[in-house]
Amino acid sequence: MPGPETTTESSNTASPNTVPLLDAQGLTKSYGETTVVSDLHIQCHPGEVLGLLGPNGAGKTTTLRMLYGFVKPDRGTIQYQGRDFDQHRTDLKRMIGVCTQEDTLDHDFTVRQNLLVYARYFRPFTEDPKKRADELLERFHLQEHSKKKPMQLSGGLKQRVLIARSLIHRPKILFLDEPTTGLDPRARVELWQLIDDLRADGIAVVLTTHYMEEAEKLSDRLIVLQKGRRVATGTPQSVMGKVLGEQMIVIPKAAAATPEITSWVHDATGRTIEKVLGEFHIPLPLTTIGEFQAQFPDVRVTVRAPNLDDLFLRLSEGDLP
Amino acid sequence: MKNPSVKFLFSFADWRSIAVLWRNTLVYLRNWRTNFIPPAMEPVLFFLAFGVGLGVHVDGMELHGKTIPYVTWVAPGLIAYTAFTTPFYEALYSAYVRMFYQKTWDGILATQVEVRHLIWGEILWAGLRGFMNSSIVCLVIAVFHFMGLIHIRVGLLPLLPPIVFLCGWTFAAFSLIFTALVPAINHMNYPTFLVGMPLGLTSNTYFPLSSDNPALQFLIELNPIYQLAEGARALLIPELPVAPLLHHSAWLALTTLTFLTLFGTIANKLIHKRILT
Repeated sequence: MPGPETTTESSNTASPNTVPLLDAQGLTKSYGETTVVSDLHIQCHPGEVLGLLGPNGAGKTTTLRMLYGFVKPDRGTIQYQGRDFDQHRTDLKRMIGVCTQEDTLDHDFTVRQNLLVYARYFRPFTEDPKKRADELLERFHLQEHSKKKPMQLSGGLKQRVLIARSLIHRPKILFLDEPTTGLDPRARVELWQLIDDLRADGIAVVLTTHYMEEAEKLSDRLIVLQKGRRVATGTPQSVMGKVLGEQMIVIPKAAAATPEITSWVHDATGRTIEKVLGEFHIPLPLTTIGEFQAQFPDVRVTVRAPNLDDLFLRLSEGDLP
Repeated sequence: MKNPSVKFLFSFADWRSIAVLWRNTLVYLRNWRTNFIPPAMEPVLFFLAFGVGLGVHVDGMELHGKTIPYVTWVAPGLIAYTAFTTPFYEALYSAYVRMFYQKTWDGILATQVEVRHLIWGEILWAGLRGFMNSSIVCLVIAVFHFMGLIHIRVGLLPLLPPIVFLCGWTFAAFSLIFTALVPAINHMNYPTFLVGMPLGLTSNTYFPLSSDNPALQFLIELNPIYQLAEGARALLIPELPVAPLLHHSAWLALTTLTFLTLFGTIANKLIHKRILT
């Protein structure tokens, strides 16, 4: 079972007194005997990017689907701006934008028509949908593709159209399920910029991701999930500090760790050490690094800050400290 | 409106159901020639094959002491056949493609549209397709009338497509149950060949259907396609008595509404389960 939750809530962009835009308490969902999400608490404020991070099967997508109304939780409550989602579903869905992992674009229509037809699924829609669609096409640099069918677009462009479409009704909160999966590095960076712009507009963004760099760069706050439970939350740096320790030391391939090193690390930290492509990555508190170097003066090591890759490796071990 | 059936029925005129109907109409209009002409040819060909081709080899039908040519008798049956098959297959194949392959429904359901509106959008659209195709059939029948090949009350023909539109809701709701259930598109062979074709061909459309057994006759009367075919005959064929029209209309209204409520509620539940879990 996961260890006690590590919480560092210092980084909310909104003041703690404001009503959160999204407030989910005690979310629980099981399929048969398997509990996919267990007693999860999630809050998100306007202009905040909240990253849901965890290995495959951690319950990220199910959590997102509960939040935007695709899956009914077995237990727990979801509120938007203090109003119950179950009771005011139609009203509250008006303020939600959703970008699913799968391509759900309407392949019978062009890019521009996709936006226009989508506008019809929201009410009240007070502005001119054509004007709004053109504004989004321009903002997402899609004008030259506006007459193309989604099939003619690259993965990165499709993803941009999906996000543009999910913003047609000016939602207050946007859910992005693994928005950059399968994109090339350039398209990914472009998408990051777009998400960063949305944050600047005051839109709350909840995203799931497998990419460490993405979660680190984009998220104001991370919720780390493991087996459907929240195991850590806070800024990316603080989460890693709490979960992994302050520093990572890396022993290069050439100096392949001896059994002595392995057992020393185990005695000092209670952990087994991770091997990545022949290198050994060992999380150690600052104070212990000195002891390590005194113990093994001949081993040449590099010291670096922990990153989310280290976190994933820790999570995939099954238990957190 | 806590009752799911009541909630479903009253969603038919919701703006969201109309938005989905509008989406399907727009797609259709983009390629209307391809979408309209070939499928509309099917009932026309059936009319030529059964009515004219086979009809000349069939002696007249002895009904109520009158002899009615087969081609005259089969014409209203063909309207009933079209009223059933067009919405049934529209809600079977096209809806399945939208749900399973194109993921269009997933996109739509991420908005204010709920499953019941999505289903109504599909039902209304399928009904509209029934209206369009049956209008073509009525047109062909009218041409045959003016050519002197059949003799019917041609002025009453325009009454039928609107009735077909309404009946189509029930047939579409029926096939949406299969849409929700079939695991892959090749499994569509089951509802197509084991449900759609037998029901379409044996519901008093191409040959008379009745039984001396009261229980069996009751089952036959429960079939809205039967009531539609018989009602259309009482309406259009001058040699037949008009009085049964009331009986057929009442049964048609009762059965279509009952089955629409039942099938729609089941389809709603199944599609909910299939997509939103």
